[in-house]
Amino acid sequence: MKTYDILIIGAGSIGLPTAYYFANKGVSVAVIEKESSVGRGQNKAAIGGIRATHSDPAKIAICQESIRQISTMNKDLGYDVNWKQGGYLYPVYLEKDEKALRSLLEIQKRFKLNIDWLSPLEISVLVPGINMHDLRGGTFSPEDGSASPLLVADAYYQLAKKAGAQFFFNEEVTSIKTENKRITEIRTSTESYSAGLIINCAGAYGREIGLLTGQDFPVYPDSHEAGITQPVKHLFDPMIVDIRPADSSKNYYFYQNSEGQVVFCITPEPAKVGLDCDNTSEFLPQVVKRMIDIYPRLRNLLVRRTWRGLYPMTPDGFPIIGMNRDIENNLLAIGMCGQGFMLGPGLGKILAESFIDGNKEHDFIFEQLSPYRNFDAEEMLK
Amino acid sequence: MREIKQHPVLTVEDKKHVNFTYNGQDYYGVEGEAVSSALIANNIQIFSLHHKNDVAQGIFCANGQCSHCTVLINGSPVKSCITPLENNMDIRRLDGLPELPETNDVQGKSRDIQHQCDVLVIGGGPSGLTAALELANNGFKVIIADDKAHLGGKLLLQTHKFFGSKADCYAGTRGHDIARILEEQVRDHDNISVMTQTIVAGIYKDRKAGLFVNNERYEIVSFEGLIISAGARERSLVFPGNHLPGIYGAGAFQTLVNRDLIRSSDEIFIVGSGNVGLIAAYHALQAGIAVKGICDILQEPGGYKVHADKIQRMGVPLYMKHTILHAEGDDKVKKVTIAEVDDQWRPILSTAKTFEVDTLLIAVGLASIDAFYDMANSFGFPVVKAGDADEIAEASSAMFGGRIAGLTLAKKLGKDIIIDESFYQKANILKSHPGKIYPKKTITLTERFQPVIHCLQEIPCNPCETICPVHAISLHPRKGNIMDIPEYTGHCTGCMKCVAICPGLAISLVRKLDDVHAEIVVPYEFIVDFDLGDPLPLMDIDGHYVENGIVKKIRFDKKTRTTLLTLQASLQYAQDIAGIRVQESTLISPLPEASYSFLPDDAIVCRCEMVNIKEVKDYIVEHDVRDINQLKNIRVGMGSCGGKNCSLLLPRIFKELNIPFEEVTPSTSRPLTVEIPLHSLINESKSSEDNK
Repeated sequence: MKTYDILIIGAGSIGLPTAYYFANKGVSVAVIEKESSVGRGQNKAAIGGIRATHSDPAKIAICQESIRQISTMNKDLGYDVNWKQGGYLYPVYLEKDEKALRSLLEIQKRFKLNIDWLSPLEISVLVPGINMHDLRGGTFSPEDGSASPLLVADAYYQLAKKAGAQFFFNEEVTSIKTENKRITEIRTSTESYSAGLIINCAGAYGREIGLLTGQDFPVYPDSHEAGITQPVKHLFDPMIVDIRPADSSKNYYFYQNSEGQVVFCITPEPAKVGLDCDNTSEFLPQVVKRMIDIYPRLRNLLVRRTWRGLYPMTPDGFPIIGMNRDIENNLLAIGMCGQGFMLGPGLGKILAESFIDGNKEHDFIFEQLSPYRNFDAEEMLK
Repeated sequence: MREIKQHPVLTVEDKKHVNFTYNGQDYYGVEGEAVSSALIANNIQIFSLHHKNDVAQGIFCANGQCSHCTVLINGSPVKSCITPLENNMDIRRLDGLPELPETNDVQGKSRDIQHQCDVLVIGGGPSGLTAALELANNGFKVIIADDKAHLGGKLLLQTHKFFGSKADCYAGTRGHDIARILEEQVRDHDNISVMTQTIVAGIYKDRKAGLFVNNERYEIVSFEGLIISAGARERSLVFPGNHLPGIYGAGAFQTLVNRDLIRSSDEIFIVGSGNVGLIAAYHALQAGIAVKGICDILQEPGGYKVHADKIQRMGVPLYMKHTILHAEGDDKVKKVTIAEVDDQWRPILSTAKTFEVDTLLIAVGLASIDAFYDMANSFGFPVVKAGDADEIAEASSAMFGGRIAGLTLAKKLGKDIIIDESFYQKANILKSHPGKIYPKKTITLTERFQPVIHCLQEIPCNPCETICPVHAISLHPRKGNIMDIPEYTGHCTGCMKCVAICPGLAISLVRKLDDVHAEIVVPYEFIVDFDLGDPLPLMDIDGHYVENGIVKKIRFDKKTRTTLLTLQASLQYAQDIAGIRVQESTLISPLPEASYSFLPDDAIVCRCEMVNIKEVKDYIVEHDVRDINQLKNIRVGMGSCGGKNCSLLLPRIFKELNIPFEEVTPSTSRPLTVEIPLHSLINESKSSEDNK
């Protein structure tokens, strides 16, 4: 049996930064991953947006930390992860959306977020060529941005390895043995492990890992499709989020990455619940109609590739972060609801500071995102 | 204009010319032909400057598979090889990343275009067409989607006569003629709809396929089953200078020369001695293009011996056990250098030879285009693959295999049919690789014409046997099938049909005139630019000059479009003579001194993102890569071709690093297979722009 201080299940958006920040504190860390390399679960399906402009204190705090980590990664650690501080823009075309976003803005400002209301003219300067017809303005948060999920995953993988973390690929957890409210053995297809703390970072499979210890944490993935275009010369900087619902879809969003490619994604309505990640014929016509509508200039852009990724959803749309109260050496960091990429870096750092340094200042996060909270409330800005 | 005005085999039709500009300068070209061909016909080889390093880019696949031929047309970036030329097009070189034109008009009307069928056949080449016919005959509604303007796939580019058997695959008929026969049959069939200029961009989990039609529309097809007959793509090769314009696949070359009738080059060199490389050399010579040589790392030619023999006696040297060291040129290939290899396939630099050429053709093998097959299987759709998409082989075998594929899918879709066991046996014979080589047999010459057979290697072919009206040629029964070697068994009437039909041009007729002289009849597939009484250089089977022969008769066999030359030769050599040299030996010599730089690290692996072999190898070693997806960190496979080209090169790279490729996780394949503009994906009408 291999024994470590920390054992992380899943080398993805959450597991990789968590591995690095823990290993960086000098503890022994192992990461087990069922795929053959890092980020092969939903990390690779993320489109790269990172924003702190949420509507609740926990996610705001985590993502503010993520932005700090990602934006300094090149300068401080020598990994260029294509960070681009383009901001998030929510252009508004409907009266009711204006009302909703303006009232959200009040809350966001109370959290001291850098976000403001822009006039249609200001928006057209930011996104030249955006559809001005009925444009009422919108919120803009200039400090938010984007990075390459691929490069971020690889950077944390390299950093974690340098800090001493060990990685075991192609190993799927097959059983978890518990004795006296402690996990005593984790078996994979080829090995067995034990650790002082086992962190469930299994993403879309977080519930399945939980079930191996007999607890049912409510993580039910649904799926969204996404796509990327050819690279073109610089067009616009922000992530554009259109929150209007349309036929069979809710919001959709797109931005131009640092390679010049436009990356886009849509939220289907009703949600496509389940683990199916195969492409459907509906996606492209559906999202493209909406993209050309809001930004006619994109009509001549060539779509290069599409994919479908999972949003490991919880009933209230917030992550599940905190200790398993029935097992004393099991920490949960699951149910990221499609925001694992933007939450991961900050969360990894906060978990390491809380669990290794005993830092108490993040305790509000564990309270808010507790696995045992009342899941009835709903997230305002998914 | 580099148009081919006269061709020994192809009919040159009058074409309508239209005007266009390139970078503001006036040119003209053939209406409806690919823009890439129009540019090359006007000596324009540089289509873009790469966005990573400003390196010049030219045509590469000519097949819509990559995007190296992207240019700006009327402001928008498009692939020139799949865009038909129209009057007054404003074509510009694409320098770096394209800028999107400012079209701020509101969205035009969009529409969904939907089709339904029982079976979607992806690829209307030899196997797709025969599969479609079998399915249609069994009552299934079939849609054939093909990316070209005409059905037939690579048959259209094949101007040579086909191998195989007459009964099963039109042996003895030229490929482009077979394409026409098959196209007529499918177009006449009530159960078959044909969609040309239609690229299948994706198949989706909801049992639908997305089609990119006419470079303009996106149409959705629902289907019950799929035939994957998408053919093959050409493998590229890693060597320094491999990214230069003027270096492309033999298939791309055949497209330019045989489909678009463009004399795309003056002097070429070919890497690869398989049938594709050998035939490309032949097609070049027919188009009046000099072929300075063919090199291959193998000891013996990979293709049929009859092809290799034919090419050598036309005057093209084969450099066996040679590899390419370097291709050189500022913004277009101007020189290539080859060298012999040692037993470990390492180049021996002291043997380097440099040739001045304007084009280097890569013919180092084909790879099946079968990603849809794997995808359909994982989705649980009934699917069968056929032709090169299933296994790389001759088109003769693809035609027969397509029939089996059609029947197999019919069965999978519930049709109660029995496929005759003999079908599978025949299919296996037709895709056989060339076999043993036997010594040549001599005959006793008389005053009457008799055939001398220069076909010595087992290949699946028998038209000579079936065409002879008096059964004077039969296959010597060793294997008991069409792999056997033909033999003259007596009573030739001198009708010359065997000479005209032999796909390998490997039969001559010989008769004794007197004690010193003989008369020979050989096939000739080039433009006749000599007269009766002229001397022509006669060559033996291995490509050695024997003597000059005097032209006595010139006749043209219309059915096979083959010229039959009667020449007078010496009696003692008459049976050695297999053909006529068409290319002067002075044309082909290398430069007196080899001139090259040997920088193997510079060779490009990922052309889309300009990643070289050193970067790839270093990354694999430093990061202990065991998953192709990890190479995306250095952008390998992230470009416009979707990894279609570099993925074929990676197995060898891992092997060179002593990493068993079986241990490496493959990359994932996702739609789209071709980049499609957003406006096409919703079939946006242009009316809003008219209302400006």
